Amino acid sequence: MAPTRPQTPRPLRVNSRGAGLRPGRSGAGNPTLPASAMAAGPAPLGGHPRAQKPHLSKMERVVVSMQDPDQGVKMQSQRLLITVIPHAVTGNDVVEWLIQKYCIAEDEALHLGTLLVQHGYLYPLRDPRRLLLRPDETPYRFQVRLNWEQTPYFWMSTLWPAAELDYAIYLAKKNIRKQGALVDHEKVGYHHPSPATPAESSQRNPSPTSGAHSPGSKLIQMHKHTHPIEGVSEGRWGVHPPELGVGKSFPLETFNHPQAHYDQLHRKINHTWDLVVMQAREQLRAAKQRRKGDRLVIACQEQTYWLVNRPPVSLLLEGGSWTAEKSLQGQCVSLRCSLRTCLLTLGKDVSFEILAKFLTKTVDFYKRRIECCRKALGRTRVKSSVCLEAYLKFSSQRGPHDPLLSGCLPSNPWVTDDDTYWAMNAPSVAVPTKLRVEQWAFSFRELLEDPVGRAHFMDFLQTEFSAENLSFWEACEELRHGGQAQVPALVDAVYQQFLAPGAARWVNIDSRTMERTLEGLGRPHRHVLDDAQLHIYMLMKKDSYPRFLKSDLYKDLLAEAVVPLETKRRVFPFMWKPRHSSPSLALLPTSTSGEPEAAAGSPGGGDGET
Amino acid sequence: MAKEECKALLDALNKATACYHHLVLTIGGSADSQNLREELQKTRQKAQELAVAIRARLTPPLRDRGLGAEERAEFERLWVAFSGCLELLEADMRRALALGTEFPLHAPRRPLVRTGVEGGASGVAARALSARSLRHEGERDFDVEDLHQLEREILKVGEMIQDMEMKVNVPRWTVQARQTAGAELLSSASAGVSSVGGVSVQQRMGPCDLSKALAATIFSAVLLAAVALAVCVAKLS
Repeated sequence: MAPTRPQTPRPLRVNSRGAGLRPGRSGAGNPTLPASAMAAGPAPLGGHPRAQKPHLSKMERVVVSMQDPDQGVKMQSQRLLITVIPHAVTGNDVVEWLIQKYCIAEDEALHLGTLLVQHGYLYPLRDPRRLLLRPDETPYRFQVRLNWEQTPYFWMSTLWPAAELDYAIYLAKKNIRKQGALVDHEKVGYHHPSPATPAESSQRNPSPTSGAHSPGSKLIQMHKHTHPIEGVSEGRWGVHPPELGVGKSFPLETFNHPQAHYDQLHRKINHTWDLVVMQAREQLRAAKQRRKGDRLVIACQEQTYWLVNRPPVSLLLEGGSWTAEKSLQGQCVSLRCSLRTCLLTLGKDVSFEILAKFLTKTVDFYKRRIECCRKALGRTRVKSSVCLEAYLKFSSQRGPHDPLLSGCLPSNPWVTDDDTYWAMNAPSVAVPTKLRVEQWAFSFRELLEDPVGRAHFMDFLQTEFSAENLSFWEACEELRHGGQAQVPALVDAVYQQFLAPGAARWVNIDSRTMERTLEGLGRPHRHVLDDAQLHIYMLMKKDSYPRFLKSDLYKDLLAEAVVPLETKRRVFPFMWKPRHSSPSLALLPTSTSGEPEAAAGSPGGGDGET
Repeated sequence: MAKEECKALLDALNKATACYHHLVLTIGGSADSQNLREELQKTRQKAQELAVAIRARLTPPLRDRGLGAEERAEFERLWVAFSGCLELLEADMRRALALGTEFPLHAPRRPLVRTGVEGGASGVAARALSARSLRHEGERDFDVEDLHQLEREILKVGEMIQDMEMKVNVPRWTVQARQTAGAELLSSASAGVSSVGGVSVQQRMGPCDLSKALAATIFSAVLLAAVALAVCVAKLS
């Protein structure tokens, strides 16, 4: 499955760090932009060049224009008990502004707003864990999207070890702040769906789905179809989620739980845990230097960032490594993102069946993929230089023989309604055309496939007293392609005639193949003589065939072969049989077939023939 | 003692990195200003000086083959923390460069994002430099030149990291961290007490707190009203 993300080619590294591999990062090397001023610069460590995905740049433009002091969204201040934090917007304002600016319907504005929230450009202040835009007085605030907006792309890239560290530090900070109570917060799955949600979703769902689907699954479909989050596109999501039953609800906090993440991280980057703790403490202390309002805002921002970019459930469940497996990247991303979209927008318990489906798909899918890759590794491959040479040789050899490329003599029956061409090239004809005889020289297979050629080859073999080889081969062919009912009888006949120790036409097969064939004769099937047939075939090909080509018999055939003349053109316009209007390609001077006799059939001339 | 010195320097570097991280968070937001850029520059320069010093101190013991196992383990631990710190610093510097180019202060292609952060961050920078306060003295085009310098510094740090990897071979996976999973909670209480500011350790989110704060205010207002009424009644009667 090809990932939908545009596969931009990785540019080469320009600065000095190209050569070494650092143990802390995976060895892919860190490409940077070869662009002008920023040799060191904003090119991220690993992964893709800095060009953002288009939907993100579009969103950025929207957000930037929202911030315009004159024309942007109306900003308010958020009042906490004593502190006042400016620059809050309400959901209502956002939706109205979008409607007004882009002249879209309310549903679309709502959807667009939700997208902005989900990608982290806006974050809700009241209910930060549900990334939805509500068209009411809920306040939101803008988030500065740091270069971190690229981080989601690098889930599985060389940057990830450092981002793990970031996440670990964040969790440690949270741990300190909440005094060890990571359990209480950031649970996705414990929110009751508010009345707004089904209404919104039914508003937003234009496509008719089967009535049995609950609103939640409609949301999933909607997101699946309408926007690619981080590379998910429609066709790649193989599993269509069943309707979200209420049934067995499976609280997700055991999986998607910061405590679980914390423990996992602790196991994984245990060696840097000192640093994690130190940094967490110091960062909190540094934050205390600010005023309270700023502190709150920054904490909010960070929380939103990690909510939006949280590592996915499926990978954590497997306990699998987070480092890149590039070939699986696309599939992984799609699964992750679809699951995450699921979780983020629903905010309710996802039923166990869906989760199970995702899980099994992941594990099995990986196993199959591994098998597939292993097999692919084992396949023999031909170098393209060799392959292309063979192509060239083939084309140059066959060019003159191709009726479309080089024209056919006497004339193309489809054009002139004259079927001499077919008559002359019939399978069994007394005198073959020259082209046909030449074709026998190309390969042994050509010779054998042509009945006339085979017949002549048989004659030749008879002069050499090795005609039984060809007979044996023909008998084997008959066995292979014949009727099933005749197989035992035929096998027996072949054995009697060719393989038995004192047979009349005994063929010379090496002992090992003979043993195997004799064993197989006990239970005859149509492929029992395949080994022997192959052996004889190779024998003829290596031995008799070159001699045939050099023999007098063949040379005589070549000499006797006929070259048809091109039919003369009629001049009179009102004849019953229309003739082709242009001369045959075969007679063009550039043609390589080089048949001087054919030139005698020159077109034109005033004499008509009846 | 070399180890104590190293530890002290590492703590200082850690502090500087944390402060730098904190400052980088606000670039491009509503609190961005010339002062911020200056503070960034000072912080990162301090961090780099510290890094060079630590490296000079840590490399010889680690390259010394004759060091005992215990000592070596200790130094390796410090090394791992140090390189992690440097990597964090480098990542933050790159982000700072990217954001700094996207949000130039003067002649803005786009105005700064209004994030709601307003105050200055000089306290943070002062903490990083272990100074009382900070003087700001930049010229007008400070941020543009600063960016060039930042690029160079990123390259330098990158080279330093590379060099470190080449010279000293410390397999990270063998290092055992001293802190356990919940370690930050244990001494955080003591740290909280001694921290500057004396703000309560429990930093709750504002929005979550709103309803509770509101309830508390109403309750206290009602209480006050009741007390006032009682006093009036007492006075009247």
